[in-house]
Amino acid sequence: MSELLRTERLTKHFKIGGLLSRRTLHAVDDVSFSIGEHEIVALAGESGSGKSTIARVLARIYQPTSGQVYFEGKPLSAIRSRRDGLRYASLVPMVFQDPFASINPVFRAQHGVLRILKLHRPELSAKQRLDEAARVFGVVGLGADMLQRFPYELSGGQRQRVGFAQALAMRPKLILADEPVSMLDVSIRIGLLNLMAKLRDEEGVSILYITHDIASARYVADRLIVMYAGQIAESGPIEEVLTAPKHPYTQLLLSAVPDPMAPLSQVTDRGEPPKVVDPAPGCRFRWRCPLAIEQCSAVTPALAEVRPNHEVACHVAQTGAEVRAFAS
Amino acid sequence: MSEGHEILEVSGLSVDYMLPQGSGADIRAVDDVSFTVDRGEFLGIVGESGCGKSTLLFAVAQLLAPPAHLAAGTVKFKGANLVGLTDRQLSAIRWCDLSVVMQSAMNALNPVKSIGAQFKDALQAHGKPSKEEIAARSAAVMRMVGIDPVHLKSYPHQLSGGMRQRSMIAMAMLFTPDLIIMDEPTSALDVVAQRALMLQIKELQQTYGFAVIFVTHDMSLISHFSDRLMVMYAGQIDELGATRTIFARPLHPYTQGLLEAFPSIHGPRVPLKGIPGNPPDLAMIPSGCRFHPRCPHAVERCTVTAPDLYPVDGDLVRCLRRQDGSLSSREEGSLSR
Repeated sequence: MSELLRTERLTKHFKIGGLLSRRTLHAVDDVSFSIGEHEIVALAGESGSGKSTIARVLARIYQPTSGQVYFEGKPLSAIRSRRDGLRYASLVPMVFQDPFASINPVFRAQHGVLRILKLHRPELSAKQRLDEAARVFGVVGLGADMLQRFPYELSGGQRQRVGFAQALAMRPKLILADEPVSMLDVSIRIGLLNLMAKLRDEEGVSILYITHDIASARYVADRLIVMYAGQIAESGPIEEVLTAPKHPYTQLLLSAVPDPMAPLSQVTDRGEPPKVVDPAPGCRFRWRCPLAIEQCSAVTPALAEVRPNHEVACHVAQTGAEVRAFAS
Repeated sequence: MSEGHEILEVSGLSVDYMLPQGSGADIRAVDDVSFTVDRGEFLGIVGESGCGKSTLLFAVAQLLAPPAHLAAGTVKFKGANLVGLTDRQLSAIRWCDLSVVMQSAMNALNPVKSIGAQFKDALQAHGKPSKEEIAARSAAVMRMVGIDPVHLKSYPHQLSGGMRQRSMIAMAMLFTPDLIIMDEPTSALDVVAQRALMLQIKELQQTYGFAVIFVTHDMSLISHFSDRLMVMYAGQIDELGATRTIFARPLHPYTQGLLEAFPSIHGPRVPLKGIPGNPPDLAMIPSGCRFHPRCPHAVERCTVTAPDLYPVDGDLVRCLRRQDGSLSSREEGSLSR
């Protein structure tokens, strides 16, 4: 599998507070990962862990504070002209969380797709644009009669499919999907997840699937990246991370996933959010970690491979000791 | 309690949303719902958006505001019918005997008042407690939910989402009520905080013996916490029974579909189908069984006859084919995981 996108020590800080109380919020710190072709990578973590900030940096909405993103081997900072920017935007489109806010309510469902085709594929004639709109609607499971509907006539699931159709119309290589199913009813979420798998298998698209729902990540994704407080805690092939999690936070996260078929696990942790404003060096999970050692409060753990392709940022795990912080 | 263990008895409750004149009939969001809650019981209500679960809660707590209005039914709380009571009569019951925890704590708490000042307001609305009594009780309920009482001086924006939700629950417990109604109190929290809050609610309930009605769209969340489960679809009860029984053998095809719509982090990775179609628009309710357009087992008569809530195996199920036993175990086999 060849590499499509890679981030290198990606960092995004925000300045907060007034003149006298200037502080820095470390939304994303030192994050390096890659996404291959035809691959769904799940980016999981609690709210405020920096998942959406990464998506926005990858979509060029935010400029990174430091670090670099490479797409097909070329750095994003080299994009200067409008033409290059448009080309990148069409190869790496976004699908948003809220299907009720991300589609213009005064235009018909086909409007977004037709505009995208006009902007990004100017070689198509008006007739070809309509045909292509019908085709991408078909791929995402919407009938041709849906093209003329207004958004208020569509259900949440259908609107989110329109979002994917718009992304697909650009002939993308990588779709950035930021919580695409969290606003949908449980009975129709599976349909959208199945659609994402179909786009990977049949259209050859890679997807960065940002979610807080580990179970849905396991359902569609090939690899899992677990974020905590702006840093990667653990990453690896999803089945391996879920069956043998090495980072205490991953273990905590997995033990808290509600599962009616499993016995109830007693999690003692309260789930208080970490400090990401002017954080001191050291592991950011150490306040909540039952295994923290002295080194954890002095040195920020770097991501290191503990098994092939399975990386963990934890001092204890990297010594080779067995980590059992929270039983799942 | 002359009538036994029941603390709440809802019968034939229907709620309509009035439309402006000339734009058609009123929309019935809750249709003929009857259930009881025992003292100290944990009742879970699950359903998708628009199934009427929040409207039902508002109707039970007598909090409906126009255009919603109660069309029929009674809500008996500790033997007295709440329907038709004046605001003054209701305010004597609210907080003291029955309290409500809303979905979004950020919206339910007053942003310009400290947590302690809001506790004081509630306490002073029901008597004339002294300063010391207020301070003691406020600190006590904060400790019950595991927050340091110094946060009584904090404003809502200074607390994390989990702490806000906990302080809402603390506020609901100021008078140790007999019934606490919770409308998706955990939906804004991440899974770790969510699990911690659920464990806390269960522990408090066991210690203080109040009953809980817990509304959620996430069935797996309450699987370990509720005693009985009520599944709602299109304004009606579809299935009502003991939680563990329903998870072990769901009877209504909709409940089965809901259970199969959740991927699991354990076991083999199996492809799931979810439930085809979309939840119905309450203005255009399907004929016969409301679930028949999405039901894999629907037969001709399901499209014609509207099923009642039938007792089957100790549960209540709104399914014609369950009632006459024509839904065979062989057909079910194709559904179960």
